Amino acid sequence: MDGAVTAGDGGQSFDDAVRTHAGDLFRYAYWLARNRQQAEDIVQEALLRGWRAFSGVRDRAAVKSWLFSIVKNEFYRATARDARHGGVDAADIDIIDERSSPFGMEMREALMALPVSYAEPLALQVLGGFTCAEIAAMLETTEGAVMTRLTRARQALKRLVVPAGAHERKGERS
Amino acid sequence: MNCLDYRRILLSGDGETEAMRAHRMTCVSCAELLKEHAAFEGELRGALEVPVAARFADRLLGALPVPGSVEAPRQDRRRFLAAAAAAAAAIGLGLYAWRGRDDPMAMACIMFVMKDETKSIMMGAMPRAEAARVLAGSLPLERLDGIGKVMHIGPCPFQGGTAYHVVLMVPQDKVTLLIMPDTPMPARARAAHDGMYASVVPLRKGSVGIVGASAAVVDSVAGALQA
Repeated sequence: MDGAVTAGDGGQSFDDAVRTHAGDLFRYAYWLARNRQQAEDIVQEALLRGWRAFSGVRDRAAVKSWLFSIVKNEFYRATARDARHGGVDAADIDIIDERSSPFGMEMREALMALPVSYAEPLALQVLGGFTCAEIAAMLETTEGAVMTRLTRARQALKRLVVPAGAHERKGERS
Repeated sequence: MNCLDYRRILLSGDGETEAMRAHRMTCVSCAELLKEHAAFEGELRGALEVPVAARFADRLLGALPVPGSVEAPRQDRRRFLAAAAAAAAAIGLGLYAWRGRDDPMAMACIMFVMKDETKSIMMGAMPRAEAARVLAGSLPLERLDGIGKVMHIGPCPFQGGTAYHVVLMVPQDKVTLLIMPDTPMPARARAAHDGMYASVVPLRKGSVGIVGASAAVVDSVAGALQA
């Protein structure tokens, strides 16, 4: 785009920031909304808001976390409008792997089953590369709370993604 | 640093600190745990990295107003807003049916999803054969299979009794079912709270609570179960 807006004093342009982070912003939105079309709409709307506010961004190092934050805010705004699942096309939902056993859960399916409150910090950490302290600041909570959510998320995933034939409760195996 | 601390910090995902590394060098089980954890993290990253549409960044940038101009949204954006307005109107009509007093049982189903669902999943699934047997009189598993993909099923304590917690992936979204074979319900009841919607519908034996993130998906599943 011509005449790209830049942050502060000659910082990274908005275009550059979008090109650098678009993929992970989409993936983050996807794991919040669990729907491709909705995720694209959230990112597009978030970046429109971001574009309007970008000239006020002074801290170039914080552009990435700022972009993730506005995507997060846009998701919750969309949820509040209850438009989150309006017009969802069944074709947009990830196809479940038919090879898996009825109760077997591959990692992506297991992630689908995670509550947003657990998937959100996980996506920020793994996709965004943010530390627990940075995630705490973005989610406006404590670092300890983030660590707890991340630990529980991984424990839940490890419990869900189990080898075939190992789905019974521990007590039922003996 | 002990093994418990090592495991706790490792699962939080912030990486291995110097103190953790020192512990691992002297602990065979934690060294083994790190190897397993690295494999798990690789799988986790691969799963989170869903494919992104081709030229996604270009499309995003192309939809933004031209710099320096008075904001003139492009045609595709106007179409998007019009579609969003139509969807909002449709949802508004659907929500009309959800007005009124929240039913306590439906509200309890929402609270379960908000507070206890993950814990219930972590308790583990039950064998499908056993699930089929205990639910045969109220909601046969084949019925659920016809509606969506059963991702989890297991017993859980609920409202002083035992319910069967089902995570069901339907085309629109994930929904949670709480099948209560011993809790009859005279008529359908609803509740909405904090962006979640629940409907409890009577079954041949007992009832089932359905919880989802939109009224539309809950109504859709309730209709399919009652059909």
